[in-house]
Amino acid sequence: MSIKLSRRQILAGTVASSTLALAPFGPAFAQADSIVVTSYGGVWEEAIRDLFVADFEARTGGTAEIQIGGPPQWMSQIEASLDNPPIDVLVNTIDLALVAGRTGLVEKIDRSKLKNIDNIPDRFIDAVQGWGVIFDYGSAGIAYHKERVTNPPSSIKAMIDGALAGEYVLSLPGISYAPTPQMLIWSLADALGGSVDNVDPAFEALKKLQEANAVIFYGGATEFLNHLEAGEAELGIYWDGRTWSHFSTGAEWIGYINPEEGGVMNPVVVQKVVNSSDAAWEYIDSMLAPGPQLGFAEKVQYGVTNSEVVYPDWLKERITPWEDTRWPPFEAIGEAIPAWVDRWNREIGA
Amino acid sequence: MSGKNAELETMASTIGARAAVRPWRLMGFGYIIPSLLLLAAFFIAPLWFVGEMSLREGRLPPPGGGLWQNYERLFLDSFYFGVIGETVVLSLVVTLICILMGYPVAYFMVRHASARLYNLIIFFLIAPLLTPIIMRTFGWQVLLARRGLINEGLMSMDLISKPLSLLNSPVAVVLGLVHVLAPFMILSIASVLSGIDRRLEESARMLGASRGKTFLKITLPLSMDGLGTGAILVFMLANGSFVTLLLLGGGSLQTLPLLIYQQFNTTRDLPFAAAMSIVLLVLALVCLFFQLRLIRRKGA
Amino acid sequence: MARLAEETRESWALGLVTLLFFVFLIFPIVVVVAVSFTSANYVSFPIEGFSLRWFHRIVEYEPFIDSLWVTIKVAFASTAIAVLAGVPAALYLVRWKSAVSEYLMALLLSPLSMPMIVLGLALLFYLSAIGLGISLTSLIIAHTVVGLPYIVRTVAGVYRGAPPDQEESAVILGASRWQIIRYVVLPQIKPGIFAGATFSILVSIDNLPVSFFFGSPSTSTLPVVMLSYLEHQFDPSIAAISTVQMLIALIGLIIIERFYGLRHLGTPE
Repeated sequence: MSIKLSRRQILAGTVASSTLALAPFGPAFAQADSIVVTSYGGVWEEAIRDLFVADFEARTGGTAEIQIGGPPQWMSQIEASLDNPPIDVLVNTIDLALVAGRTGLVEKIDRSKLKNIDNIPDRFIDAVQGWGVIFDYGSAGIAYHKERVTNPPSSIKAMIDGALAGEYVLSLPGISYAPTPQMLIWSLADALGGSVDNVDPAFEALKKLQEANAVIFYGGATEFLNHLEAGEAELGIYWDGRTWSHFSTGAEWIGYINPEEGGVMNPVVVQKVVNSSDAAWEYIDSMLAPGPQLGFAEKVQYGVTNSEVVYPDWLKERITPWEDTRWPPFEAIGEAIPAWVDRWNREIGA
Repeated sequence: MSGKNAELETMASTIGARAAVRPWRLMGFGYIIPSLLLLAAFFIAPLWFVGEMSLREGRLPPPGGGLWQNYERLFLDSFYFGVIGETVVLSLVVTLICILMGYPVAYFMVRHASARLYNLIIFFLIAPLLTPIIMRTFGWQVLLARRGLINEGLMSMDLISKPLSLLNSPVAVVLGLVHVLAPFMILSIASVLSGIDRRLEESARMLGASRGKTFLKITLPLSMDGLGTGAILVFMLANGSFVTLLLLGGGSLQTLPLLIYQQFNTTRDLPFAAAMSIVLLVLALVCLFFQLRLIRRKGA
Repeated sequence: MARLAEETRESWALGLVTLLFFVFLIFPIVVVVAVSFTSANYVSFPIEGFSLRWFHRIVEYEPFIDSLWVTIKVAFASTAIAVLAGVPAALYLVRWKSAVSEYLMALLLSPLSMPMIVLGLALLFYLSAIGLGISLTSLIIAHTVVGLPYIVRTVAGVYRGAPPDQEESAVILGASRWQIIRYVVLPQIKPGIFAGATFSILVSIDNLPVSFFFGSPSTSTLPVVMLSYLEHQFDPSIAAISTVQMLIALIGLIIIERFYGLRHLGTPE
């Protein structure tokens, strides 16, 4: 480690004086013997590297480089050079995964090339219409500050009533946070008697909360934890995995409740990019294998999809079984998003 | 006394006219060519892509559709007019506050600060810009949250009974923007202030002008270019910012850049985002042009 | 004597305003620096105990260090190009008295008015189409376009106010064009170049919406890596890396101060 670092420092010193001379001028296209896979940063990336990439490299002898970032960025990059895409394997949110399929950025799943696919329940392939496989999922329920909320609500409906009664202030995902249409708008509508075609109950509840000064909105996943930590809010809709990881790092004041209506399923999809290397199938197969999936689940504390995976007890208590979650109608929500966003902007604020 | 006053006036006007009296040319047109080529190749050309994108069908087309549908959606709707207005007003307010707060600091830095203090000021002006927005936001939350330092302090002094909602308000947005943009204003003003010939001020004082009058008649006009630079930079940066609004505004303010980000991140309606960008670009260019005119007139 | 007192009063009053402004400026930064030394596993304030573990974490987590170097390389390379292209343009435009010069000035400043996220997307498609794709070169080009207006505007602002008599005397004395630029003009516009280059470097280091379109395993910048890191984790390492960035800036400023003098850079000769 120390040798590597000092060499890097020396290199950087040289580079600072002659940046352009040393700069690689060619674009960084994915090579045939080495593939580029995508990941979020931090603990996620470390889990991907130690489990999926390690498994892939050990089995095939190839190499996989990890590109850190987020789905909108990766999709734009693929779209910009479809003939020679800079990415081979795309990790995606479900709404964008469907868009990627429709716009020809990714290939349909080829079952013959994936040994582990038979242990993945069909629902995890059908939900993306075969434009990839769901390998991991989160569930959106209620997270709260245990020291400041002594009597937490057991359902989404009770949560809203409690906030309107002035018991606590809610922190909810705002419209600029990508999963909000499913995890909040549809979820509220569904819990309050509406549906994907009638989201009036959701907007009415949000407006009432706003008038009562009982809600603030977060624009990114981290903001929610800040709201609770700083005392700007006491409770809100949040991910099971993120809540438990935060708990595990020592923030033992945070608690998670799986609401009576059921948490909202939020799948993470893996897709093979068009014109990408065939080694991409091998890598996707590693992502579906039970061993690496279990390791991944232990690290990020989110559920995985291979039915062979058996969670240890401590993790089993934390992960919401996918059969118990509410599955939003992803396709219909995808269609409705522009109208919902427009309505939100007018009625709630950006 | 009136004679001296007239002399002072003449002096002030000659100062303004100075920049204009440049009887010969040092630089040829060739000096501007590298910049123009750079922008032509890597700014104007990609703009064509944005323009073309803005004419494609968006995800929420107005009835009838048509080539200009995304623009129609923007201009035939009072809601979006409000958004455009809010964008401009926010940028103006932030620019004005930066001028009012920044000028005294720049003046102190150039005229009164010791060498060591000067270095310290430069460092502290740079530091906020090196802090990622999410961490800066955390800093603000510690201060402004319902259970933050300000509210706890006010409550313990019994000045308020219920915590104030300071976060997620336009106030928090303006505070957050001024925090990162004021350094642009201060350094712009300071770079011009430091070049002002102090003998001019001395002469004005000898002609009997008061300190205040000397400042208004001599120093301020001479530093107008720095103020103009700062105003342009701050205005444009405020005009294009969305992360601060997203994290500190909590939906209390809606501006074009925020809606553009939404189209990119949530709805994936790139044609509509492109149309909003073209509108924002034109709007900003019009403001820029007026600002340049204003500075030129003030300086001449 | 009265004037001296007046001067002191002014100094105190302005000093007080400056002090208040800096309390405002520094407060969130102090919180960030404090958090980077916390012993807790998550971000909280006030901190529970003192520890350097989060600095260890950023050294350990390779993408942080790798992307920090990419960020610094891109910031300095793009600023150098922007200075080389922008300074002559600013000098010419200040001197050229014509309505056209006003339009050209507006043109040179126009990248400022383009929403970054759209500029980034447009450049990604354009540079991919002309074969540069996602590369360090593309990243530097994109940052140069963003940085150019800062240089042009600050240099133009300073040069317009600079006294022309020295230049004129130099012409009369028969100095060559290069000599005048080197010995008369450059010293005059030095504070403008300093301020403009500082802006360009800072804006580049902080840039997310353009950089993230050009991210790849070898070209992701620090803000891109940090944003993605925060998607699943919010630990004090983000605070620690801000502290490291400030430390680098501080060391940079001290070096400039030692060899050249900061004040010297910010003042014309």
